[in-house]
Amino acid sequence: MEYFIQQLINGLTLGGMYALIALGYTMVYGVIQLINFAHGEFFAAGGYIGAIVLAYFAGVGYMESHPIICLTASFMIAMAYCAYLAIGVEKIAYKPLRKQSRLSALLSALGMSIFLSNGMMLTQGVYDAIYPSELFQGRFDFGMISVSYLQVTIVTLTAALLVGLNILVFKTKIGMAMRATAQDKTMSALVAISSNRIISLTFAIGAGLAASAGIMYGLYYGSVKYDMGFVPGIKAFAAAVLGGIGNITGAMLGGLIIGMVEIFGAGYISGEYKDVFAFIILIAVLYFKPTGIMGENIDDTRV
Amino acid sequence: MRKKALTILAMGLMMVPFLLGAVSAKTLKIGSMSPLTGPYASDGTDIKNGAQTAIDVFMEQGGIPGYDKIELFAQDTACDPRQAVAAANKLINLEVVGVVGAYCSSSTIPSSEVLDEEDIIMITPASTNEKVTDRGLPYMFRMCGRDDDQAPAAAKFMKESLGAKSIFIVDDKTTYSQGLADGVSKAAKALGIDVVAHEHVNQGDKDFSAVLTMAKQKKADIFYMSLQGYSPAAMMTLQAKRLGMNSQIVTQDAVFQPKYMEVAKDAAQGVYLTYGYTDSSTPEYKAFEERYVPKYGKIAAYATYAYDACTSLLKAIKAAGSTDPKKVKAELMKLDYPGVAKHVKFKANGDSGSSYIAFKVVGDQFVPYWEPKNGLIK
Repeated sequence: MEYFIQQLINGLTLGGMYALIALGYTMVYGVIQLINFAHGEFFAAGGYIGAIVLAYFAGVGYMESHPIICLTASFMIAMAYCAYLAIGVEKIAYKPLRKQSRLSALLSALGMSIFLSNGMMLTQGVYDAIYPSELFQGRFDFGMISVSYLQVTIVTLTAALLVGLNILVFKTKIGMAMRATAQDKTMSALVAISSNRIISLTFAIGAGLAASAGIMYGLYYGSVKYDMGFVPGIKAFAAAVLGGIGNITGAMLGGLIIGMVEIFGAGYISGEYKDVFAFIILIAVLYFKPTGIMGENIDDTRV
Repeated sequence: MRKKALTILAMGLMMVPFLLGAVSAKTLKIGSMSPLTGPYASDGTDIKNGAQTAIDVFMEQGGIPGYDKIELFAQDTACDPRQAVAAANKLINLEVVGVVGAYCSSSTIPSSEVLDEEDIIMITPASTNEKVTDRGLPYMFRMCGRDDDQAPAAAKFMKESLGAKSIFIVDDKTTYSQGLADGVSKAAKALGIDVVAHEHVNQGDKDFSAVLTMAKQKKADIFYMSLQGYSPAAMMTLQAKRLGMNSQIVTQDAVFQPKYMEVAKDAAQGVYLTYGYTDSSTPEYKAFEERYVPKYGKIAAYATYAYDACTSLLKAIKAAGSTDPKKVKAELMKLDYPGVAKHVKFKANGDSGSSYIAFKVVGDQFVPYWEPKNGLIK
C-alpha cells in the first residue's frame, strides 16, 4: 500500500508536468487546427531561461537570502520570454502559411522545432545547464512514504496554473473571445474579435505554461539540456491526443494518465518498457474512442 | 562577361601555389571517434582533447621523420552505432593511418569491424566491454581495462570493504552498462551477496522515481548503478537522495567525470565507483597535467587514456618508419613505456591490462579509497 501511494505521488508529479505541456498543444490545435511540433522546444527554452536567471541570482547572492522571490522572478521571466518566443514563431513560421494547406504549416512546425533545438545547442552548448538544487531540499516522511518539498511545490504550482487557466478560458471575456475564435473565426471577427490577436494570445499562454513546466523540470531533475524538449514533447502530444485534442480538460486528464501509466508500468511491471505502456494506453483508448477521452471538440469547451 | 572570365582565371592561378603546397607538405592523418554531441558529449570531447594533446606534444618532441604535420580528424559518433559506422567510413575515405576511439562499446564494436576490413589500427581509450578485444580482430587495441576485471573488483569491494549482504542492480541496457551489470550480478552471487533485483531503465530517461521507489522498498545494502555516462547517473543519484533511499550507491567507470558532482552536488557525496588506477604523482602525469589543464580545464574520465592511445600509435608509426599496418602493429606490441594513465604494454589480444580500484566522492574530488590487493588506501 505504501509502495502504491509512493508511486502515485511520483506519477502525479510527472503527470502534472506532462499536463502543462499538453495544454499548449491542445489550445493551439483548438484555435488553428495545427499540431505545433515546436512546442516541446518552448518547454526546453523555459528551462534554460530559468537556469540562466537562477544562476544570475545565485551569482549576486540573492538566492540565499530571498529564494522565493528569485524563484518567482525566474518563473515570470521564463514565461514571458517563451510567450514572446511563441508569438514570434507563430508570426514567422505559421501565419504566412495560414491560407495554405494544413500540411505546409505542419512541416513548418517540424522545421521550427529542429531550428530552435539546434539554436539552443549552439548558444548554450552541449553540456547540461545546472539548477541550484539547494532549494526545497527537505522532505516529509510518513513511514515508508516520502514526499519531497519539491514535489509538493510542483504539484501545488501545477494545480494553481491549471485552475488559473480554467478561470481564464471559461470565466473571462478574453476566454470567451478565445472560445468564439475557436468555434468560428469569421463570425467572431464580425463581432469585433481580432483573430490574429487571439491566436497570438493562445500561443503565448501555451508557451508560458510550457516554460513553467521547463523550470519545474529543471528543479526536479537538477539540470536541463538542449534536446530535453523532444521526448516530453512527444509524450505531451500523446497526452493531448489521449484526452481529445482541442479539449483543455482532456489535455490535463491525458497528461496525468500518461504520467501515471508510465510510473506504474515501471513500478509494477518493468522499467524498460515504461514508454511502451504509455503508448499502449493511447492506442487502446483511440481504438475504442477515436476522438480521445473527452470526445469530439465541437461544443464550447474547446479553445 | 570577358572581364568575369579573366577574374576567374586570375583567381584560379592564385590558387595554384596553395594546391602545390598542399601536395608537397606531407601530413600524417590520425582519426578520433567519440561522441561530440548528445548526452555523452563531455566524455567524447575529453577523448578528442586528449588525442590532440598527444599530437601537440609529439610534434614538439620532433614529430615523425618525413611528415611536416600530424592532423587529427575528430569524428562524432554520438554514441550511436549507426553514426559510428558512418564515422568509420568517413575516416577510411580520409585515409587515416590509425583511429583513437570510440567511447561507447556499442559504437566501438561495429565500427571496428569496418575499420578492420581496411586494416586500420583502432585503439579504444574507453570501451571496456569484453567483446571489444575478444572477437580476435588483428588491429583492435584497448588502452583501458576490461569489464570482466571491473565487475569482480566491484563485487569484491562491496563484499570486503562495505560488508554488503544484498545488492539492487540497475542498468540502462547499452552493450557496456548491461554487460557490466550482468558481470557484477554474477560476481556478487559468487561471493554470496544476494542480488535482490536487476532492473533496467532506458537510455535517455530522466525520471527514475519508479525504479528508485522499488529499490527503496527492497532495502538492499548496495544500490549498484550501471549507467552509460555521468549525466543520467547524476540525475539518478539526486532523485535517490530526494526519495530518501538509504542504500549505499556504488557505480562504475563511466561516471568518473567531475561534472557528476556539479550536477548531483550533496547527493554525490560518499558515492563509490570503480575506475582504473592512475598514479597522479608520476612525472608523466604531471607533464600531461601542465599541458592539458590550461588549455582544456580539469582532467576528466578518458583524456589520459586517449593521450596514451594516441601517443603509443604515433610512437609505433615512428619506430616502424612506415604506415604499413603490419609493421605498425609489430611495433605497438613491442611498446613498453610508462604512460600517463598507466604503464603501456599490449598483450597478444590487444588488451593492456586492468587496474580497477574503488574511488570515493569527497567534495568535488574522486579520492582513491580501496584496492583489491591491500584493501583500504591510506
